[in-house]
Amino acid sequence: MAAKAIEVNNLTFSYPDTDEPVLKDINFSINHGEILGIIGPTGAGKSTLAMCVNGLVPQVINGEMEGTVKVNGSEVSESSVAKMSEDVGFVFQEPENQLSQMTIEEEVAFGMGNLGVPRDDMRVRITDALEQVGLTGFEKRSPLALSGGQQQRLAIAAVLAMRPSIMIMDEPTSMLDPKGKNEVYDVLKNLKDYGMTGIIIDHEVERIAAYCDKVLVLYEGEVQMFAPSEEVFTNIKKMHELTLNAPQVTEFLSSYNQAFGKDVKLSTTLEEAVDNFESVCK
Amino acid sequence: MNSLYMPKDSLIHSLDPRTKMLFVVFVVASSFILNDPALQLVFLVALFPLVVMAKVVKPYLISIQFLLLFAVLIMTVHGIYNPIGVTPVFEIFGGLTFKYESMVYASVMSFRILVIGTAAVLFVMTTHPSDMASALVKWKVPHSFAFILLSTFQIIPIIAREAKIVMEAQQARCLDVKGSLIQRVKNLVPMFAPLFIITFMKVHQLSYVLECRAFSRKGEKTSLRETKIGSLDYTFLLGMLGFLAFEIYLKLFMMGSLQLTTDALLTYSLFGTWIVFGFMIIKFVVKQFQGKIGGAN
Ligand SMILES: Nc1ncnc2c1ncn2[C@@H]1O[C@H](COP(=O)(O)OP(=O)(O)O)[C@@H](O)[C@H]1O
Ligand SMILES: [Mg+2]
Repeated sequence: MAAKAIEVNNLTFSYPDTDEPVLKDINFSINHGEILGIIGPTGAGKSTLAMCVNGLVPQVINGEMEGTVKVNGSEVSESSVAKMSEDVGFVFQEPENQLSQMTIEEEVAFGMGNLGVPRDDMRVRITDALEQVGLTGFEKRSPLALSGGQQQRLAIAAVLAMRPSIMIMDEPTSMLDPKGKNEVYDVLKNLKDYGMTGIIIDHEVERIAAYCDKVLVLYEGEVQMFAPSEEVFTNIKKMHELTLNAPQVTEFLSSYNQAFGKDVKLSTTLEEAVDNFESVCK
Repeated sequence: MNSLYMPKDSLIHSLDPRTKMLFVVFVVASSFILNDPALQLVFLVALFPLVVMAKVVKPYLISIQFLLLFAVLIMTVHGIYNPIGVTPVFEIFGGLTFKYESMVYASVMSFRILVIGTAAVLFVMTTHPSDMASALVKWKVPHSFAFILLSTFQIIPIIAREAKIVMEAQQARCLDVKGSLIQRVKNLVPMFAPLFIITFMKVHQLSYVLECRAFSRKGEKTSLRETKIGSLDYTFLLGMLGFLAFEIYLKLFMMGSLQLTTDALLTYSLFGTWIVFGFMIIKFVVKQFQGKIGGAN
């Protein structure tokens, strides 16, 4: 049996200054090429969970951890964050704080340089990565002169250039305006086509429903649901119990069913919802 | 405007950062070997062609203005009050007398500041910060130290921008940042406390990001930018060595017979700094005035 891309078993974690664990007995796994969406209210422990996957927690951000996290079959705790970065790329929430270099090409080259990628190879990868995120032609500019959406795409390019097989993004669009959000999600859509494995944390359920194969719902440190996204979002009752919302179309069908005592099959995509609705109403 | 670095295409820019660092060391050494105002003045003038060659004349002049402030202050105050002076040179209104020995002392000090300042400005303006970092690494300076140096250069514009944001935010809460001097000094606390916290948080976050970009990974690192010592660097280094030898020779064997420093030279350099300083003040006043009239800026 081939190793899973990410496998988390009985993971419990507490920060030093808190009594209650922020993650409680987490279990899930994802296959290569799958995109997992993690949703949940603020403070649920989503970021902490994501950082467990590349070892940032507990190696750099300390705390008490139990259970195991395996990436491509090997234990994260037996490796260092720097070593893990060859397999797992991490994009943070705040675009500006992720940029440390003078020009865009150097920003992209920075991670590669730390991995010891030869210069000729770097050139090729920079061109590739910038093309993937649509920043071709910006090589010599300063990262600080970019818009938020562009900066976040640059951060993604810098991670992509390191050629990880897994990409984790912690609320990559929450600091961005609608245009910036679209830009970043367009890049994400491509990643899926390249066969990358990914974890995305985001509050935009419509996007999560559209892009993610599976969804994990985290609430107060516990996994409340872990299933294909369709299954998670059509369980509207549970979503509401957890103070979360399903995508708008799903919410609509559900309200409609409730208000008129109908039984339209719930769906998360607009096209399917229209079909389902039509088949009942005619 | 990311740092002081001026990207230009020049011979000086294409020198290896290590050569330029040695150049700064050479200039500092020379400024102490040549402790005579006339020789230092000659040296300062001799450095100027390098500034021209590096195509940074204008930014150089702008930044050297600030050093000139020091020079004016030192030359005037020391020239009059430094107790080592005995021989009067000339008197200005109010019976204040400039004395020869004090003026020599003050000129040496001010020219030294200008000479070293010129070399430093030349170095910073023509050396890409990442090149500086990678050159240091080649000198076996630890990678993390080189990075600290590099990021210090980069964090300055970030802090500047945050400072502006904090200032605007505090102004929106009715903090008077344009009041009297005392009021402004008092207001530094509500300015700097948040600024410090923001910077600290940013640096903290950046450390996680660096970790995720394999920064602390052991083993060979590579850089996009290439720095290499070539024939140009050797020529430059040889030139510096030659010059150094000449300076020492001059110092050891010629100082007795060579007496370039005269009353006139000292007086004219003093007047020179005053005149330039006067122009600076006029320019500043005019700018303020224009600002008031035009309402812009
Ligand atoms: N470094 C830390 N030290 C102590 N507690 C923390 C730290 N980071 C986060 N927490 C706490 O852990 C909980 C989960 O945080 P986080 O994983 O950031 O949640 P989310 O990303 O879902 O908003 C929160 O209650 C938060 O206050
Ligand atoms: Mg979070």
